[in-house]
Amino acid sequence: MRLLNWLRRRRLEEDLDRELRYHLDRRVADLTAAGLSEADAWRRARIELGGAAQVREEVRDVWLTRWLRDFVYDLRFSVRSLRRAPSFTGTTVLSLAIGIGATTAIYSLVDQVVLHALPVREPERLVLIDWKGEPVANAFGSWNLMSYPLCRDLQRHDEAFDGVLCRAATTVTLSIGSAPEPTAAEIVSGTYFPVLGVGAALGRVLGPSDDTTADASPVAVLAYNFWRTRLASDPTVVGRKILVNHYPITVVGVAAPTFQGVDVGEVPALWLPAAMSSRAIPGFDGLMDRRMRWMQVLGRLKPDVTIERAQAALQPWFKAMLVEDMGLPGFPTITPERRQRFLASRLELTPAPQGHSPLRRRLAQPLWVLFAATAVLLGLACLNVAGLFLARGSARERELTTRVALGASRGRIGRQLIADSVLIGLAGGACGVVLAPVTLRMLIALLPQETAATALHPNVDARMLLFALAVSVAAGLLSGCAPAVHAGRRSLITSLRERAGSGGGARLRKMIVAAQIALSLVLVIGAVLFARTLTGLLAKGPGFDTTSLVSFGVQPRGSGYSRVDGTRLVFRIYDQVRAAPTTAAAAVARYALLTGGSWNNHMTILADRRITTDREANLNAVTPGFFATLDARIVAGRDFDQRDTRAGAGPHTAIINAAFAARYLAGRNPLGVRLGVGSGPDVQPDVEVVGVVTTFSYRGLREESEQAFFPMLEGGEETDAGGNFYVKIRGTPEQAAQTIRTIVHEADPLLPLTYLRTVDEQIGRSLNTERILATLSGGFGALALLLSLVGLTGVMSFLVTQRTRELGIRIALGARRRSAIWLVLRDAVVMIAAGAAIGLPCVAVLGRLVESQLFGVKPTDPITIAATTLLLGAVALAAALVPAYGAATVNPTDALRAE
Amino acid sequence: MPPARFPIPQGTLDMLILQILSLEPAHGYSIALRLEQISRAVVQVNQGSLYPALHRLEQKKWLRAEWKPSETGREAKVYSLTRAGRKQLAVEKDSWARLAGAVRLIFGEGGRS
Repeated sequence: MRLLNWLRRRRLEEDLDRELRYHLDRRVADLTAAGLSEADAWRRARIELGGAAQVREEVRDVWLTRWLRDFVYDLRFSVRSLRRAPSFTGTTVLSLAIGIGATTAIYSLVDQVVLHALPVREPERLVLIDWKGEPVANAFGSWNLMSYPLCRDLQRHDEAFDGVLCRAATTVTLSIGSAPEPTAAEIVSGTYFPVLGVGAALGRVLGPSDDTTADASPVAVLAYNFWRTRLASDPTVVGRKILVNHYPITVVGVAAPTFQGVDVGEVPALWLPAAMSSRAIPGFDGLMDRRMRWMQVLGRLKPDVTIERAQAALQPWFKAMLVEDMGLPGFPTITPERRQRFLASRLELTPAPQGHSPLRRRLAQPLWVLFAATAVLLGLACLNVAGLFLARGSARERELTTRVALGASRGRIGRQLIADSVLIGLAGGACGVVLAPVTLRMLIALLPQETAATALHPNVDARMLLFALAVSVAAGLLSGCAPAVHAGRRSLITSLRERAGSGGGARLRKMIVAAQIALSLVLVIGAVLFARTLTGLLAKGPGFDTTSLVSFGVQPRGSGYSRVDGTRLVFRIYDQVRAAPTTAAAAVARYALLTGGSWNNHMTILADRRITTDREANLNAVTPGFFATLDARIVAGRDFDQRDTRAGAGPHTAIINAAFAARYLAGRNPLGVRLGVGSGPDVQPDVEVVGVVTTFSYRGLREESEQAFFPMLEGGEETDAGGNFYVKIRGTPEQAAQTIRTIVHEADPLLPLTYLRTVDEQIGRSLNTERILATLSGGFGALALLLSLVGLTGVMSFLVTQRTRELGIRIALGARRRSAIWLVLRDAVVMIAAGAAIGLPCVAVLGRLVESQLFGVKPTDPITIAATTLLLGAVALAAALVPAYGAATVNPTDALRAE
Repeated sequence: MPPARFPIPQGTLDMLILQILSLEPAHGYSIALRLEQISRAVVQVNQGSLYPALHRLEQKKWLRAEWKPSETGREAKVYSLTRAGRKQLAVEKDSWARLAGAVRLIFGEGGRS
């Protein structure tokens, strides 16, 4: 590597000196021996060698190729000249640092959430196996759900796979010698660790022998980080008993340090074999049920099998399996068209080197949007630096012209300018890398899930550094190329002929400002759209009154309660909470509101004829007074009361919401209509609608779906979701929280609260993505606006200086001040109009990409766009007015005397 | 009158240096002396281009250099041929011979046998 020579150039120089000196000394000695005087001998020896300085230069060229040496000299020269202009250097470095810091921070998130492959053996061979079509099955979990027996079937297909695994994320109540706590866990097939190729840091990992017989292998593997942080890397942990949902489980090992499961957003603290699923999910008995979808299935392709071939190879078996499934006992009775859809189902394989992640599914698009925004911001910063370079170029005109006159080639000068900007780029990049982790930490804190905080790291890693370096060099080159091209085009004659301060790439600079305005218009409009989405959602609210509303949850099943006892405990707590002095009203729901999840199913409706819903309705079970607690109005009929909550054969009454009534019972009296859960022909519609409630948000603020509510039965055992309490409080939330903790603790000291927060807080959480988009794009928009205003003002004052003489003459000849201002301002108007003309079509195109992130506002919303454009134009004009006003107050005599 | 000398053809200097060093290791000055002997006879070598050439050949790893006491007792930088240099010399000799043969053929001298 020749570059190494640069580092040891001092030694090389010394060596060369010694070598040449030896040569000369020997030559002189020989010549004097031949009879020359010493002085003559020296002269002769030097002439023969052809000038020591030239020889040295030529040798140096050998050490370091010419261009490289020149470039190193350029860099040194740049450092010196940039040091002499600290304000210029500071401004440009800061511009790029902001751009690069923001881009790098967002990139790091994109990398971690979207791009980064799992730290397992050959992740590129992993595929997600998913069911496309109608699975005719019950489901719980996030996405891409399959049944455990299907995973077992797939494991036999070694023509396509080197192994197939399945897994499900869950939350268990875990106690390791301390108070029980809700903890993230992953339920995995025995093939999970072998197929991924993940080993143990301590003890062993789970293997197929841990997953043969249901309930027969109470073992678990701990995650390395959990073991390190929570158990202080205790080496004796292997063999220790822990309590998972109150059930004793033996720790058999700790997984490899880098491995954090296959879901980037949900880092498990421990892995449990699927055979133990009835303990991991209390009351779950669907492990061997082919009609119960709850796990994601991943396969490792054989090395020489493509994804298409594997997919094609699986279909014949899959089709046969579908037919066979239909003949099995327990397969539900379904309508012919549903059966047709079931038989048309197929398996779909998609590459999954990054594993499976609901977090990625939700965040990928917002992250790419933000990444694009930072890229635009960085582009803007580059333009800003380019503009500043051009301005500095006109100030340096004399230096550059002199260098050209002395024989510097145009390319050489262009290269010098590039060296300047690359240096600025690298300096900006270095500052950006310092900024990025700070920004990243704030970003992660903003992210939607608590788990995201443990899964994502704000550290500088090699990939991030590499990215920052590439971006810095690119930014440096980009911001340097305009001035360099400009310098290359200038002719020596015109430069010398022109007066100081004229020319200077005015056109190029105007173009740059127009581009800046276009880019900031795009960013600002984006920011306004996201802000309107957020404020729109906040203003709309969930459709019920959230003031003084606190919510908390318990999961008795996780602490070893049976279904009936669990429900009893929930009701006991409910009675206590209702009686507490801090409570104004309270109610319990089976499923929590505004968390993204719900209990959902198709419904069968029997009015004057039998119909089934065309999409799933969101269902819940609630205690009497639930709607009153939320302040949701019953628009027809009545609320649940004691008559409805008596334990019996199941609920016999229901309350539907207005959306349900409008969609399926339009123009009919909904009261007395009968409902059944499910859509099969065997569903008995025997639940009577006794009331209609106003529509409010259940899964999230964006949604206003059809809902149906059933009474929560005392001593009932319909589900295991536990109890989610909604309490209208008196006094402060802190006092209420204290009371609630005491009540739950007294009911069972070992029962943990799954959460306790105000509903407003919950709404805040559910709007995290929207908030991130609005906040960040707002910040980026403001920065963009600032950068382009700086650019605009710079160009305007430059133009004014350039025309001072002309303006002086005009004013001397009687031109009005106002017309002088207009003369200058005209340029600004043209630039702003050009910027808008470029920016608005971009908005139209880019708007389509963000449409799904918006709510209540179209990406081409005319009011938003017109208002933003006008406002931005006005602000830009105001910024231009300052230098323009300066032009008008020019004193004609001063302007003329300045010549 | 000394015989008319012509400037050394481009690229031949490297070959000459390799040839000189193939006989025995030598320092810069003694290479210069040997070059002078050759140049007095036939071609004109500019001594100034010797050192850049030596450094270039060293950079290409055809030469190895080390400081050793010379015949006068003072330390001198002595160059010697590396294995790669020896190979290169063979290649250059061969191509030079072919070029010379081709030129002879073109001028119709002796190539007819």
